[in-house]
Amino acid sequence: MKVNVKVWRQENKDAQGRFETYEVVNLIPEMSFLEMLDTLNEQLLKRGERPVEFDSDCREGICGTCGLVIDGMAHGPKRACTTCELRMRNFNDGSTITVEPFRAQGFPVLRDLVVDRSAFDRIISAGGYVSVNSGSAPDANAIPIPKDIAERAMDSAACIGCGACVAACPNASASLFVGAKITQFSLLPQGQAERHKRAVRMIETMDNEGFGNCSNHAECEAACPKNISIDNIARMRREYMKGSLKAV
Amino acid sequence: MIADKSILDSKIPEGPIQEKWANHKASVKLVNPANKRKYTVIVVGTGLAGGAAAATMGELGYNVLNFCIQDSPRRAHSVAAQGGINAAKNYQNDGDSAWRLFYDTIKGGDYRAREANVYRLAELSTSIIDQSVAAGVPFAREYGGTLANRSFGGAQVSRTFYARGQTGQQLLLGAYSALMRQVDSGRVKLFPRREMLDVVKVEGRARGIVCRNLVTGELEKYAADAVCVATGGYSTVFFLSTMAVNCNATAIWRCYKQGALFGNPCFTQIHPTCLPQAGDDQSKLTLMSESLRNDGRVWVPKKKKDDRRPQDIPEDERDYFLERKYPAFGNLAPRDISSRAAKEVCDAGYGVGPTGFSVYLDFGEAIGRLGENVIRERYGNLFSMYHEITDENPYEQPMRIYPAPHYTMGGLWVDYNLMTTIPGLYALGEANFSDHGANRLGASALMQGLADGYFVIPSTISDFLAEHRPDGLNTTHEAFTEIEQKVADQTKQLLGINGSKTVREYHWELGRIMWERVGMARNDEGLKKAITDIQALRTDYWKNVKVGGEGQELNKNLEFAGRVADFLELGELMARDALTREESCGGHFREEHQTDDGEAKRDDERFCHVAAWEYKGDNETPARHEENLTFDNAKLTQRSYK
Amino acid sequence: MSVISIWNSTIGKKVVMAITGIGLMLFLVVHLAGNLLLFVPDEGQAFNQYGAALKSMGPFLYVIRGGLLAFFLFHIFAAIQVYTSKKRARSGRYAVETSKGGPSKMTVASKSMIVTGAVLLIFVPLHIYMFGMNKGAPPPMVMIDGNEIKDIYSMVATSFNQLGIVVFYVATMLFLGFHLRHGFWSALQSLGAMSPRWTPAIYTAGFVFAFLLAGGFVVLPVYFYFFIDAPVASAGGAL
Repeated sequence: MKVNVKVWRQENKDAQGRFETYEVVNLIPEMSFLEMLDTLNEQLLKRGERPVEFDSDCREGICGTCGLVIDGMAHGPKRACTTCELRMRNFNDGSTITVEPFRAQGFPVLRDLVVDRSAFDRIISAGGYVSVNSGSAPDANAIPIPKDIAERAMDSAACIGCGACVAACPNASASLFVGAKITQFSLLPQGQAERHKRAVRMIETMDNEGFGNCSNHAECEAACPKNISIDNIARMRREYMKGSLKAV
Repeated sequence: MIADKSILDSKIPEGPIQEKWANHKASVKLVNPANKRKYTVIVVGTGLAGGAAAATMGELGYNVLNFCIQDSPRRAHSVAAQGGINAAKNYQNDGDSAWRLFYDTIKGGDYRAREANVYRLAELSTSIIDQSVAAGVPFAREYGGTLANRSFGGAQVSRTFYARGQTGQQLLLGAYSALMRQVDSGRVKLFPRREMLDVVKVEGRARGIVCRNLVTGELEKYAADAVCVATGGYSTVFFLSTMAVNCNATAIWRCYKQGALFGNPCFTQIHPTCLPQAGDDQSKLTLMSESLRNDGRVWVPKKKKDDRRPQDIPEDERDYFLERKYPAFGNLAPRDISSRAAKEVCDAGYGVGPTGFSVYLDFGEAIGRLGENVIRERYGNLFSMYHEITDENPYEQPMRIYPAPHYTMGGLWVDYNLMTTIPGLYALGEANFSDHGANRLGASALMQGLADGYFVIPSTISDFLAEHRPDGLNTTHEAFTEIEQKVADQTKQLLGINGSKTVREYHWELGRIMWERVGMARNDEGLKKAITDIQALRTDYWKNVKVGGEGQELNKNLEFAGRVADFLELGELMARDALTREESCGGHFREEHQTDDGEAKRDDERFCHVAAWEYKGDNETPARHEENLTFDNAKLTQRSYK
Repeated sequence: MSVISIWNSTIGKKVVMAITGIGLMLFLVVHLAGNLLLFVPDEGQAFNQYGAALKSMGPFLYVIRGGLLAFFLFHIFAAIQVYTSKKRARSGRYAVETSKGGPSKMTVASKSMIVTGAVLLIFVPLHIYMFGMNKGAPPPMVMIDGNEIKDIYSMVATSFNQLGIVVFYVATMLFLGFHLRHGFWSALQSLGAMSPRWTPAIYTAGFVFAFLLAGGFVVLPVYFYFFIDAPVASAGGAL
C-alpha cells in the first residue's frame, strides 16, 4: 500500500514550522505507523533530504516515548493504543495522513515531531514519590493493602507519561497525568504521610509549567493509551482542596 | 590461554557464602557523612540499576550527575519487562530461601556465574521487595491484603512478585520516583537526552565522561570521582530484538576500548515466544509472555511449504515437534531448547506464515478442553495484543510465534564490588556480566538491576572513594580535551563519508549475519565466516555509509550511526568469544558440542570460567583472559530436560 | 497557603466556577419554578402573588440579589481566566482536530462554553433591564391581597407577544441549554464530588437537566406568543 503523509517540519524550537507532504510507497498493512515513518526517512536519506525527526523507543506501547497527533487525534484513530502500536491497516490505501507534534505551551517543539516533555519530570520531582530512603523499608507484608485498593492504585499507576492527555486536551491541561500520580499515592497507605503536601506542590508545579485548566472535556481519557479515567482528576481536586484548605 | 590474575581479581570476600556480603559490608571503608557531598559520582543510565543507584547515592549525600539518552529517566528500557521479579521471601511457605534462589540461579545459568555474586543477589532480593512496596509500587495482592506470588519460568516455588503484566514499568517508576525526589532535593542533577560517547581516564582512573547533547548536538564534558555505567544490554546488535530501538552498546563499548574488560560477550538469550517478523522494514520484535506455552501446543505442518490454512490441516499431518522431541517437558521445554527447535524446523522448510519463519502455537485443544472463557481469563490481554498486531484472531486460528534476541548476559567484567578493570569505573545491571552466567532465568533481570542499584553499589563505592579523596580535578584537564577531540573527530568522520548506503541498511545486514551465525546455534565454520563478514561490512561502513545532516543539531540518524559503528565491532567480539568457547552452555549452543539427543554439552574441564576480553587496538585481535569459577556450594551437574 | 493562591491555582478556579455555577443553576430552578406559575389559567393571579411574595421579603431579597450578583461575577471572572490560560497553554493550533470518541465528553457544548457564556452575559443585563427594572413594558398596577402591586403578568404577556422578543428569548435559552449541558456535569466533576460509578448517570442527568430547564424557559414565550393575547391596556412592550 501507499500513503501520503502531510508532516509538520520545524527546524528548531524557535523556527517557524510548516507542513510538507511526502508519498510513502511499498508499505504493508502489518507495519506500525512508526515503521512507515522509518520507511519515509530511508527514502528521504537516499534522496539527500533531512529525515523527519520523531521520538520513539520501546515500540511496544509501554515506555511512553512516542506520541504524534495523527489526523487530529493523539496517538491516532485507535483507542487504547500508542503511536508505535498503531498499524497501517487502520488507514486506507492512498489516503493522506496529517501528522503533527503534540502541541502545548508546556511541551515546546524541539524539531519536527520531537517535543520537550521535561515539564512532566519537574512535576514528579515536586512530590510524585514516597519519601523513603533505600534500606529503611519495613517488611513488604507489614502493611496489608486490600486487593481492590491495590488494583485501583495500579489502574492509576499504569500511566506511561506519554503526554497524549495534554496533546488531546483543548486546554492543554496536564490534569490526567498529575491526577493519576496523586491518586495512586493517595490510595496507598505508604503515600499517606505526604498526601496533601504532595497534591498541593505537584499542582502548583503543573500550573507553573504552563498547562491549562481542566474543563472536563474528558478527551484525555479517550486519548489515553492506558485508559486512565478522569476520575483520577476528580480525586486530585479533592486532594488538592483538602490539602490547601488545611494549609490556609 | 593463561589467566592473568593481576587483571582479573574478583575480590570475593573470605568466609562462608552466607556471610560474605555481611562481612564485606562490615569491612568496606566508609566516607564520612559530612564529606560525601564533596564527592561527585556520575551515573550513566536511569533504568532499574542506574536510577536506583543515582537515587540511593543521592540519599547518602553524594553529589550525583545522572545521564540518560531518553527524554525522561522513566523511559529506560527496564520499563518493558513484563513478567515479574523474583525474591526469596518465602511468603508462600513453600520452602523457598535465599539458598534455593541462589541454587536455581546458578543452575539456570548453567554454572557460568560467580557463586558469591549470585548468593548476594538472592540475599538482597527480599530487601528489594520491601523497598519497592514502601515506595508505592502496586504489586498484585491477595484478598487478605498480602502480596501475591506466582511461579515463573518453571521454578518449583512461587517466588515471583508482579504488577499485572507491567512489573518492569512499576519497579522502574518506583526507582524513578526515588530519583526525582533526589533531583528535588538537589543531590542528583539530571541530564536527559545525553549520550555518553566516551569515558575519560586520568592516571588510569575513570574521572569523567564526554557526552553528546542530543538536542543541540554539542559535546559536553563532566568530571567526577567515580563513573557508573548502567546502560543496559546489547541485543540490538541483532537489529531485530525485543529491545527498544535506542538500546545500544556504545557506552560499554567505549569503556571496553578504554581498557575495561568485556565478560562473556557471546552469552545472549533468545526468547522463544515472540511475534514473527512481518516484513523487512520491521523495526523490532514484540515479546509475548512465556506463560502462553502452558496451554498452547507448538506445531508445524508435516509437509514442507504447506500453504493450507492451519484449521484445514488434519491432526495427523501436524508435527508437534516439541512434544515429539522432548516428551517429558513438551511445550514447556526451556527457552533455549524451544527456540532452537523452532529455528531448526523453519530452516528445514517447515515454517509457516508469509515468511516461512514462524511456528504455530495452537490453543485449539485447550479451548476445546477448558472452554474459550477460561482461555480468555488467562491470556485475554495477550490474545488481544496479538490480534491487534497481526489482525489474526488467536481464538479461531493458531498464533504464530518465532524466537527473538531478548537479553544479553554478557557485559563489562566487574569484580565483587561491581568495579570494572578500570579503577573508579563501575558497571551495573545488564551492562555488567556478573550474575546470570550463560542463561538468565525469568524474573531475574529486574532483581539484579535493583540489587545492584539500591544495595550493592551504594555500599561498595565508598570503599573506593574513601581511598581517593576529591582533588579538585575538573574538565579543563587535558585528558578531557583529548577525548572530546577524539569524539568530535569520529562524528566528523561519520558525517563526512556521505556514501550511498544508509545506517539502517548496514545495521540490518549486520543483524542478518549475527542472527544466522552468532544466534541460537553456532558452529566453528559459521563463526569464522561471521568474523570475516563483519570485518568486511565494517570496512565498507566506514567508506560508504550515508549519515546526513549536521553534528550540531538534533540528528537521530547520526546517533544511530555511532551506535552501529560500535555494533560492527561488538558483533565481531561476540563471534570471537563464541568461537573460542568450545562447549555448549545455557544460551550458547555450539553444534559441535551436544549430547547424542541434541542437548547442550558443557565442558567443565576447559571452560568453567568467565572469558574476559581485553581491547588491543583497532583491527587487532583482542586478548582473552579467564576468571576461573569454582563451585563450592552448588554442585556442577549437567542440565537435562528430557 | 493563602486563599489567593488557591484562587490562582487551576483547581481553585474550577472549584469557584463549580460552586458559583451550581448556585446559579439553583437560582434558575427557582426562577423557572416561579415562571411556571404563568401557566396557571387565572389571568396572572398566581404569578402576581409570587411576585408579591418575593417583594415582601424586603431587605433579604437584596441580600439574595447581592449574592447572585457576586456568584455571577465570580463565575465570569474565573471563566475569563480559565479561557485565557487555555489560550496560552494551547498557543499552537492543530491543523486537524478530531475527537477520539469513546469516553470523551468533548462536544459542541463543552467547547463553546465561553461563547454560550458570553451570550448569557449579554442577555442577563438586558433581561434585568427589561423585567427586573420594568424598563421594557411598564406594567399596570394590580391589587393582590389588598396591596396594589405591579401587574408583572401582563408585562410578560405583552412582551412575549412580540415576535422579536420571543425569537431573542428562545435563541438565548438554546444557548443556556448548551451551557448547562456541559456545565451541570462539569461542576460536579470539578468538585470531585462523584464516585466513578456515578459518572455516566451524572453525565446523563446533565443532559436531562439542561433539556428541562432550557425547555421550560423556551416554552414560556412560545406559549404566550401563540396562545395568550397581550393585555389591551399596555401595548408598547419591551426593548
